[in-house]
Amino acid sequence: MSLPEIALALLAAVAIVTAASALLVRELVHTILWIGIFFVDLAAIYFLLEAPFLGVLQLGVYAGAVTVLLLFGIMVTRKRIFSREAATGIGVAPLALAALTVVVLATALDELPSGNVPIQAYPPTALSTDLFGAHGPWLLLLGLVMLVSVSGAIWLVREGRE
Amino acid sequence: MTALPLGGFLALSSALLGVGLFGILTRRNFVLLLIAIEIAMNAAILNFVYFAAFAPVPALGLTGQEIAVVLIGFAATEVAVGLAIVLALHRLRGSINVAQATDLNG
Repeated sequence: MSLPEIALALLAAVAIVTAASALLVRELVHTILWIGIFFVDLAAIYFLLEAPFLGVLQLGVYAGAVTVLLLFGIMVTRKRIFSREAATGIGVAPLALAALTVVVLATALDELPSGNVPIQAYPPTALSTDLFGAHGPWLLLLGLVMLVSVSGAIWLVREGRE
Repeated sequence: MTALPLGGFLALSSALLGVGLFGILTRRNFVLLLIAIEIAMNAAILNFVYFAAFAPVPALGLTGQEIAVVLIGFAATEVAVGLAIVLALHRLRGSINVAQATDLNG
């Protein structure tokens, strides 16, 4: 195995373990810690795929902003930040459905070309030129939709107070 | 040039989608539900980045990365809206257990 393949195997294992741990631990603050590690791990996978802009974006938006927002959500809805979530059963049916989804998707892997495929690297300048050049107006429209969504969220939080 | 197996990446995103789906179906705490949705969404974003990296035509690869950029922005917005709902739910019912939020039931 080459070094990138070993790195991929390690990062993939860490991603699955941290994602599962985030949902299975009972201490909610530990959930946030696990999900933070998960987001950092995905950023490392983006760097491995030679997409540095996406890696930095993942670190800033997910590992930074989203993790802090989720921590904030726990802090304001709990009397004590280190409080345990009531135990919920694993559930055979949801577990079977999730496993079935993975199995069905895994069967499609046989159709893929076997062996290693070379990775195409794109410099961040090419990405930004294409994103803000050809797709600029659509990006602005999407930004407007996001602004309206966040404004709606602020309105939702303020409304109950009055 | 680095070369990696495409199947390995897709197996990873399938497993992450499975974990996210399991969380969505079993968790009752709204914050945990949001986290499960984020895990499933990250599996989808990962797919766009893989196919961008393995695309034979540069224009297709760039488009894949652009969609990933937009999706990361959308996911952050989704968390903001989700947390606003968490706060509203907590103020209304004193709990963020989604099983108890049945006000819209007919």
